[in-house]
Amino acid sequence: MATADAGVIVAAPRPRFRLRLRLREWLNREEVLGPLFVTPALLLLLVLVAYPFCMAVYFSLSDAFIGRPSQFIGIRNFVNLWESDAFRQTFQNAFVFTSIAIAFKLVLGITLALLLNQQLWFKRWIRGAVLLPWVISTALSTLGWWWMFNSLYSVVNWTGIALELMDPPGPNWLGQKYYAMTAVIVVNIWRGLPFFAITILAGLMAIPKELYEAAEADGAGPVRRFWYITLPLLKPVLGIVILFSTIFTFSEFNIVYVLTNGGPINSTHLFATLARQVGLETGRIGEGAAISLYLFPVLMFVVWAQLKSVRKEVL
Amino acid sequence: MNKISRRRFLTTTAGLAGILASGIPPARGQQREISYLCWNNFAPASDKKLAAIGQRFTKDTGIKIRIDHIAHPQQAAKYASEVQTQAGHDLVEMRMHFPWLYEPQLVDLSDLVKELEKKHGPALSSARETAMVKGVWRAVPQYRTFFVACYREDLFKKAGLKVPDTWEDLYTAGKELKKMGHPVGIPIAQNYDTISTAGPVLWSLGGKEVEKDGKTVAIGGPQTVEMVEWYKKMYRDCMEPEVLSWTDASNNDSLVAGKAGWIHNPVSAYLTARNRKMETAAGINHHRSLAGPNGQRHETDVPRHIGIWKFSKNIEPAKEWIRYLLGRREVYDEYVMSGDAFNLPAYTSLVDHPVLKTDPKFAALRQEGVQFHCYGWPAPASDKIQLITNSFILPNMIAKAVTGTSTKEAIAWGANEMKRILAG
Repeated sequence: MATADAGVIVAAPRPRFRLRLRLREWLNREEVLGPLFVTPALLLLLVLVAYPFCMAVYFSLSDAFIGRPSQFIGIRNFVNLWESDAFRQTFQNAFVFTSIAIAFKLVLGITLALLLNQQLWFKRWIRGAVLLPWVISTALSTLGWWWMFNSLYSVVNWTGIALELMDPPGPNWLGQKYYAMTAVIVVNIWRGLPFFAITILAGLMAIPKELYEAAEADGAGPVRRFWYITLPLLKPVLGIVILFSTIFTFSEFNIVYVLTNGGPINSTHLFATLARQVGLETGRIGEGAAISLYLFPVLMFVVWAQLKSVRKEVL
Repeated sequence: MNKISRRRFLTTTAGLAGILASGIPPARGQQREISYLCWNNFAPASDKKLAAIGQRFTKDTGIKIRIDHIAHPQQAAKYASEVQTQAGHDLVEMRMHFPWLYEPQLVDLSDLVKELEKKHGPALSSARETAMVKGVWRAVPQYRTFFVACYREDLFKKAGLKVPDTWEDLYTAGKELKKMGHPVGIPIAQNYDTISTAGPVLWSLGGKEVEKDGKTVAIGGPQTVEMVEWYKKMYRDCMEPEVLSWTDASNNDSLVAGKAGWIHNPVSAYLTARNRKMETAAGINHHRSLAGPNGQRHETDVPRHIGIWKFSKNIEPAKEWIRYLLGRREVYDEYVMSGDAFNLPAYTSLVDHPVLKTDPKFAALRQEGVQFHCYGWPAPASDKIQLITNSFILPNMIAKAVTGTSTKEAIAWGANEMKRILAG
């Protein structure tokens, strides 16, 4: 017990209290608290992203077969894959599928976002409804599309024939390669459009109204306003949306798996569906991992280029 | 409130500490429990029966069983994850060449199969081909599901058509059926039903995909040309382009919905129509599998087996379940009967099973003189043969030929793809 000068007795901190005090001081230091906050996220990333990714890289460089010991074989899987007609076809499909789907999603997404940005009745309801394809389970909604394209029950063909737009029996949507690719692209656009529209809408809402008012006062019409104000200011958002969508579309699985299973004659196979066929259904996980990682360097470059361009736009 | 004595307190806490430290529950609290993963059977009644048998098994043996079901397209992915993580079910239902794919992970069940063969006769050749790996039974044959000719008997009678006996007869009848608006429904798409028909056509012409050695591609000979040419004329004159987009279920749908006049499928199509009391049920019947020019009849048979993972901690109780389900004749009969001739016994003495007498339309399922094989025959099952099957090379080769690629080019493509797989 200590005695103050004025004769007042001051209690010295108890040992437990002192420990709490020291802990608080220690936690108040930035170099301690920062890493402490980051650690859980880092651990999650390590366990859920880094570890599976490293395992996939290892598998792709080995002759791994499910349940058997594997050996390192370098890039042999990647080289051998190129000899497969099914893989070369898949490679081509992935680029055709992704580029067409993204082009349509971009144009339609901007259009839809501009419409949703107008003063509309039931605006909230409409905005909510637009999100539905994005919210519903892909496998389930694709089953609905499968029924619509099904050769026996196709409601698309039935409507087309009833309106005399098609000759009976109508297109064989899932049985002919160009139609089948069209079908999977249509479903991907339907599914991915809300992501584009809502994200672009958020970008549109962030553009100051004054810019439009000033341009209008200077006599700029709607096209000029879009071209010289909306589009340049949307560029960073568009960059991010295209970046994410490129990755999602390249790695699409559900739509193709449910709608065509990669057929006819492998004409709609994508990397993910072919990887499943080879890696999981046949047990060749080394080859399957190589299929799914084939585009990794290209996608890394796309990510780097896009992010660089976005950063430039923002700065 | 009762007072706890010091002695009781000490014995209880010491006991609890012992259980926690050893991880082994006391004998009084121990209950053996096994888990069994199988597919959603196309004859749903047999899944219900399996659950009922499982409950009886628990009552009779004290071993608790949990039966889980999964859609068959998800089986391979699920099994792969169980093997990679060395955790999951004790018993798994296996089809196609699964026992070969997962061989190092499966318990040797030869003793069990020997017991069953003593009771029910030797396992069928198709079951042996797929479940016996290098002389060791890696899974126990459970039942078989084979393909058969399903046709609209009423339409054949109406048009005065002869029930086909050969694949060539089918072409003759098919032309008339198409004119009547009831085309033949043989899928030419990336699915297993396509292989299930293409295989028997090729085999009955004397051809095969891969030689017996499992290393040499056999596609490309005159029999392959004959098969492709047969498909081309069938596609042109007897079928509709929709077959290029079909799934495994589409031919069933087409027959049951009243469109197709003839399909090649297990009895499930008829069972669906009959059990749902559909109009077409009365007109559907089955006939013996078709022959090639030399009278050979081959048919696709995809037997189902039960395997036990090596990582299972309950191997003996798991074996008990197999003995209970397949070893007790009355239980096995009960199970087979519930499958309405979709799940037929996989043992020779039971081939003429009473289930075949439950409906006059099952008469053709006796299939006298028909040879049954799984995909890839006569090549021994292996991961390469499974990859050839899973890559749908045969269906795509035929699809190419019927959609404009020359027969020669289509066959060369198929042979090259198979060579690449066998060389890898």
